[in-house]
Amino acid sequence: MTDFWNPYVQPGPRMRRQLVLLSVGGLLLLWSALSGFGIVGPNRLPAPWDVLSAFGYLAWHDGESMLAEATLWSVGRLLAAGVLVVAIGIPVGVAMGASPRINAALSPLIDPFRSAPVVALLPILVMWLGIGEAMKIAFLFIGAVVYLIPMVRDAIQAVPQSHWIGARDLGASPWECIRQAVLPMAMPRIADALIVAVSVMWTYITVAEYVNAKVGLGQLIQNARRFSAWDQVFAGIIVIIVLALVTYQLMRYLKTRLFPWETHQ
Amino acid sequence: MNETVSQTDKTAATPSEHMVSLSLNQIIQDYPAPGGGVTRVIGGVDLVFERPGINMLLGPSGSGKSTLLNMMGGVRPLNVKTPTSGTISIDGQPCHGPHDDAVMVFQRYANRPDLSVYDNVAFPFRFKLWRERVPEKEWRARVAHMLDAVGLADKKALHPAQLSGGQNQRVALARALVLQPRILLMDEPFGALDAQTREEMQHLLIKLYRERPCLIVFVTHDVTEALMLGDRVVVLSTQPANVADDFAIHAPRPRSLDWQRSPEAVQLSERVLDQLHRVSPGKGSLRVTV
Repeated sequence: MTDFWNPYVQPGPRMRRQLVLLSVGGLLLLWSALSGFGIVGPNRLPAPWDVLSAFGYLAWHDGESMLAEATLWSVGRLLAAGVLVVAIGIPVGVAMGASPRINAALSPLIDPFRSAPVVALLPILVMWLGIGEAMKIAFLFIGAVVYLIPMVRDAIQAVPQSHWIGARDLGASPWECIRQAVLPMAMPRIADALIVAVSVMWTYITVAEYVNAKVGLGQLIQNARRFSAWDQVFAGIIVIIVLALVTYQLMRYLKTRLFPWETHQ
Repeated sequence: MNETVSQTDKTAATPSEHMVSLSLNQIIQDYPAPGGGVTRVIGGVDLVFERPGINMLLGPSGSGKSTLLNMMGGVRPLNVKTPTSGTISIDGQPCHGPHDDAVMVFQRYANRPDLSVYDNVAFPFRFKLWRERVPEKEWRARVAHMLDAVGLADKKALHPAQLSGGQNQRVALARALVLQPRILLMDEPFGALDAQTREEMQHLLIKLYRERPCLIVFVTHDVTEALMLGDRVVVLSTQPANVADDFAIHAPRPRSLDWQRSPEAVQLSERVLDQLHRVSPGKGSLRVTV
């Protein structure tokens, strides 16, 4: 217990598992008790076992899996938006970080959107792009890219000047300094920015699929809500949380594999 | 190769290397002082380095000697005009900005942590300037030779984090010398190393210098280091930096511990310390290791 209030000592894997079990298991137990003893009715809080059977129903029913189909569509939209975020957001962020003049010109256009109500843009996007896929992907893209660009810019600016000076002294052109000395050093933090952007997209997926989605996890939740099938609503939310968590862990793992030198710096 | 090089010429360098010259003419540097006004950090320095040799720029920490060296390398700090006045010329040509002939080695070696030792040494050949000048076959040979020369041939696949501070500085040194520069500017390169490693690195530098002499300007605040390495020692005063003393040392290198204890060395050491105490009493810090 001497390490209880010591922020620098990590618990071992065994202890960590036990603590996770304690917190998650505790919550499940509380939830079961609330439902099982009838403290909260099923119209307000579906019982865990009802959510589980709803999950089973969504996963396989009448020879088809609504859940798998919805997940594939949502993941597909997320991927399409993600490709755009990477292809546009990273070059713009790098340019802003590498040139204070570009930054001065673009940051007033981008930075305010971090605190702007992106959800409120949805009707405007519907007006411009209609109610099809383009609107949904554009919404996810905007929602994520306004976080990504400033983070990529900050990643570039955080690279110590000595790398730039060193390359410049060795005869590199200014662009070569950015490309060969600064950008590689910023890559781990750019990867962090991407991880945040993907997390943001997962939180926005339900909103993106609010309008006229025929299939998708957001639509699935929306549809279930309309029929007051709260067990299905809960199942859908849990699926999104789990998927977001899995992508997050996967990206973290890829980051440590790609940039093993980062922790040694 | 067909030319006969006189055996008495110990440096055995090509004629072009003999003709290198680096001159500082009336260099003045002012920085805006906090609360208005200016602080003069360099007060009219005149220096001429004319042939291959190890030139030590010795001064207490904070004496502006690094600023002076950065100017020679064409590395300019942001937002301030450097130098405020005066000119730096290489081979008689005034130079602005980084110069192909002058390569710097920093105390913080600036190795890329994501690249292997080999790729760090070969780093300059990623740039168009050197790729166009040196064919791949030749630069690969040079990199292999330099790795051998600094004793890292068996560590070429490792990454900087797997190396000690001294080994990292060897990588930085190899990366600079692989360009075969005529001028090498070293900014307290061994300042962060422990005493034993520092001595090893000094011997390595002497070995590499013999193999291929060039004009070295070496900044240090270590009196012993200056006396052990220098063909010439320039002593700088503090705020503003000015040349307080300038003398040659003719003793052959590597200079032994016995030489360090010789009357000549002791006298020089005292002379330097006296000078510094006289021109800048109580400012900055110096190191003497004996």
